Amino acid sequence: MAVLTRRQVLGTGLGALAGGMLAGCATPGTVSVNTAPTIAPAGGEKITLTYWAWLKDLQKVLDVWNAANPNVQVEAAWIPGGNSGGYQKLYSALAAGAGPDIGQIELRSLPEFMLVNGVVDLSRYGANDYASRYDPTLWQQVSYMDGVYGIPQDSGPMAMFYQPEVFQTVGATGAPATWPQWAELAAELRRLDVYIDCFPLADASVFAALAGQAGARWFRAEEDGWVINMTDDATLMVADFYDQAIDKDLVQIGYGAYTPAWFAAASQGSIASVVTASWGDALVEGVSGGAGKWRGAPMPVWEGSGFGSSYLGGSTAAVMSSSKHPREALEFAVWMTTSQEGIDAMISNSGIGWSPARDFIGTSRQGGSEFFSGQAYNREIFVPAAKDQNPDWSWWPTTQQSFNILSDGFRRKASGTTLVESIGEAERQIMTVFENKGLTIRKEQA
Amino acid sequence: MSIRTVPAASADDGAGTSEPAAPPRRPPERSAPKDLSSGSTRASKIIVTSILALVAIYFLVPVYWVVVASTKSTEDLFGTNGFWFAPTFSLWENLRSVLGYDGGVFVRWFVNSILYAGVGGLIATYFAAAGGYALAMYEFRGRNLVFGTILGGVLVPGTATALPLFLLFSQMGIANTYWSVLLPSLVSPFGLFLCRIYAQETMSRSLLEAARIDGASELRIFHTIGLRLLTPALVTVFLFQLVGIWNNYFLPLVMLSDTSLFPITLGLNNWLSQVDRLPEFYELTTGGVLLSVIPLAIAMIILQRFWRGGLTEGSVKA
Amino acid sequence: MTATLEPVRPRKPVTKPSTGRNKATARAPWMLLAPFLALFILTFVLPIIVAIGSSFTKVTRSGLFGESGISSGFAGFSNYVQALEDGNFTASIGRMLLFGAVQVPVMIVLCTALALMLESASAKWPSFFRAAYFLPYGVPGVIATILWSFLYIPGLSPLFDAAALVGVTPDFLGPSTVLWSIANIVLWSYTGYNMLIIVAQLKAIPAELYEAARVDGASTWRVARSIQLPLIRPALLLTTIFSIIGTLQLFAEAQVLMTVSPAIDSQYTPNLSAYTTAFAYNDYNVAAAQAVLIAVVAFALSFTFLKLTNRKSP
Repeated sequence: MAVLTRRQVLGTGLGALAGGMLAGCATPGTVSVNTAPTIAPAGGEKITLTYWAWLKDLQKVLDVWNAANPNVQVEAAWIPGGNSGGYQKLYSALAAGAGPDIGQIELRSLPEFMLVNGVVDLSRYGANDYASRYDPTLWQQVSYMDGVYGIPQDSGPMAMFYQPEVFQTVGATGAPATWPQWAELAAELRRLDVYIDCFPLADASVFAALAGQAGARWFRAEEDGWVINMTDDATLMVADFYDQAIDKDLVQIGYGAYTPAWFAAASQGSIASVVTASWGDALVEGVSGGAGKWRGAPMPVWEGSGFGSSYLGGSTAAVMSSSKHPREALEFAVWMTTSQEGIDAMISNSGIGWSPARDFIGTSRQGGSEFFSGQAYNREIFVPAAKDQNPDWSWWPTTQQSFNILSDGFRRKASGTTLVESIGEAERQIMTVFENKGLTIRKEQA
Repeated sequence: MSIRTVPAASADDGAGTSEPAAPPRRPPERSAPKDLSSGSTRASKIIVTSILALVAIYFLVPVYWVVVASTKSTEDLFGTNGFWFAPTFSLWENLRSVLGYDGGVFVRWFVNSILYAGVGGLIATYFAAAGGYALAMYEFRGRNLVFGTILGGVLVPGTATALPLFLLFSQMGIANTYWSVLLPSLVSPFGLFLCRIYAQETMSRSLLEAARIDGASELRIFHTIGLRLLTPALVTVFLFQLVGIWNNYFLPLVMLSDTSLFPITLGLNNWLSQVDRLPEFYELTTGGVLLSVIPLAIAMIILQRFWRGGLTEGSVKA
Repeated sequence: MTATLEPVRPRKPVTKPSTGRNKATARAPWMLLAPFLALFILTFVLPIIVAIGSSFTKVTRSGLFGESGISSGFAGFSNYVQALEDGNFTASIGRMLLFGAVQVPVMIVLCTALALMLESASAKWPSFFRAAYFLPYGVPGVIATILWSFLYIPGLSPLFDAAALVGVTPDFLGPSTVLWSIANIVLWSYTGYNMLIIVAQLKAIPAELYEAARVDGASTWRVARSIQLPLIRPALLLTTIFSIIGTLQLFAEAQVLMTVSPAIDSQYTPNLSAYTTAFAYNDYNVAAAQAVLIAVVAFALSFTFLKLTNRKSP
């Protein structure tokens, strides 16, 4: 029977092969919406837009808009955050032709959606008229090749949250101002069995943000294709710095920030601080018994080079190619991200990150916070941080795969491969990924 | 217990009489091979039962943990001993928030799961019975080809077909609908395999001949005689398929993006994936897990009695 | 199982009925098979065709984002080459082979031992134990993993408090241990189910055989070795085959644990790899090649196993 079956199966397989050739199934994402004619506004007719996002209680924000715009109703549907399932859903819905009108897409992932023709070029619907309302660095990160592919929705300027009492146990009166000082303090803390922070080997986005702060610019889009440069001085300096920090056991690499293990350690004071984005405040507030024990401080800097801060995380409201009403979707997204009522509703209901609007950070973020002992850390720390950013950083169309390649390399740190080595190796692999997709890429000539 | 090699009492009595000094009632446990062979001395009873009990603890601890955890608030979940209840009992509160979250979406997921598994299991069993019966009771050209191909289907991992099936369903426009999960659930190659073997072992063609002479149509013979004789195997196939669909995760994950179509597995994982940003989802997830485990536990305890039919008489027959 | 794989010979030649009946009898099996076959073709055969088709297709983009044209064409074996050159994908297959080589035998031995103990006269409350062991089977893999993940997380799990009493700090989610933490979840989920199949088979052993063994004065061990084990062999084959296939299907456990264990990458198991390649990297064609490779490996393993056991059987 086994022999018989094998032959039969083989026969079926060959038939299948021939059938497959004939069927020539179209691969999803190969048809562009951005060369098709623009879609006219609905013109007074009542329409309903869907918005897929992982924001908490988003519907309450939408209800504010819905009350004022009876003809353009927006409905929220929850998806898991980004690459933990949300994008997979968006991609598969796009492939199935059943995507939403608007999707929450991280800044870094926007080019990946562009690659599969998943998002609408909003400049064709007048998005550039609104550019002046947004933070210029963020607007830069949604603009590619004269187009605008998403509306910045929130971002994460980086700074540091620390426990002054824990720092004081080794005699430090404030937060370290530079990275070398940070490393010195970390070594002091280790004597008391306290870690200053974690370094996530499994999530390369943090490393990318740190490199960005130091002045790295991994990708450039040129006329003739992509230019990659992940082994510049800034990146290698940061990698070497963390290589040493890990070798000296200065940072915790067993778990990342905001994991259950981290919360337990933070509340016991065995994690002293965290360099994180502005949206980390809500998470730090989740440390049990932490009220009054935490403060904000600027991110440590590199003396003589780089920038004061960096962006970690941040997302856009992107109009998906499946939308039948891109113009209305754009208008709604601009309202949500730049109007005072939109921003305040997003903060109070969904707890979004830093507002992308140029001149309004949100009413509730003006004053001090009880948890942080009344410190007005948003105005004191994050407003300047948001202005001191690397303006040249640009994302690229294989971000997730590149980050996975990087973190696969970083994981080998345990077996002795340095971060510096794995970045060089990752750069080569990422170039292969580009080439496999048929994209042109070359290494920056020094 | 259907098999008892030796009644316990007789072995003990035999040992007792041979030793005059032994106490009149229960003799002390002896380690003589003869006693061991009976498999029922007190010593072996205690050893075997305590091993079984230890293993039972292993199987039940996670369930016990979730029962305890679902009575706790998120703060207590991290702050108190996981194997004992916290001073504040927040079970009802947690369950209320599970059932009330997002307009009762949990109930919806539960109903979806029942729908996918129940309807899918029933129809799949019927189709598998018809197919297996046809392959067992009729000689026809291509029979071995058909059976061989289907047998190949048993060996193909279901997840390997899910991705291409998604692409196919996308083009047919039925991805992200109830059908996209239900249709693949209606096919059970293993069920057909079981039914065929069971029919072969238990049914004689002469019975069918008799029915034919009575003038019954072929389909009628299957529905009246065939299905009835196949019943023990059908129960097994149904249960197998029911649990298979209920536990399936990959297929709905690939197919569905609309949360209102989710089965409970997908829904709960949806909640779990939010805990890193919103720790209150720990309560929802533990409460939801508890609610989904309880009915299954009851069902498993009841159903394990029926989990025999086709498996013993059919497929595993040497 | 082995014997039943033989092509079935009719017990007696099919009688030639009258001509009118003849047509009906010829049509009947196809009518009965039709619904199953239609769905089988839709959900097994066609997807395999699609997978094979798209695994030989390549999409090429030009421009920075493919804005100046996207074309697709015949790729030859380049997608397969790419899949096999992807160290993470091949590593995931190797990882599953290692996993299967350890987990499947452990589970089969455990479930056999449990079944024999339950069916021995020495067990008290056998139906309680049977139900307790079988219960996890009704807990879907995802939910089982959620359950266990809570027990693996430091700070949340009471297991750590228990381990601290004896001075050990376990790490369930580290790079070298997490695979076995997954194995534990699979073991927990399926041992009871496999045990039940074996119990069912044991119950089918005629009582006379035991009686004869008793008369010969055979020990419990001997009864197990020379009566019970040979007679439950088909059940063992069945459970082993399903376990091998199940190992290659491993997905939910790894995907759910990924959120709590940094050691699990997005291509930890072959299926996770195909899923990530398709839906996170948007490379449907390479993903299709991976799916085909997974199926081929499952096939090869199952056939090899059947061949080996066939050869050994008398």
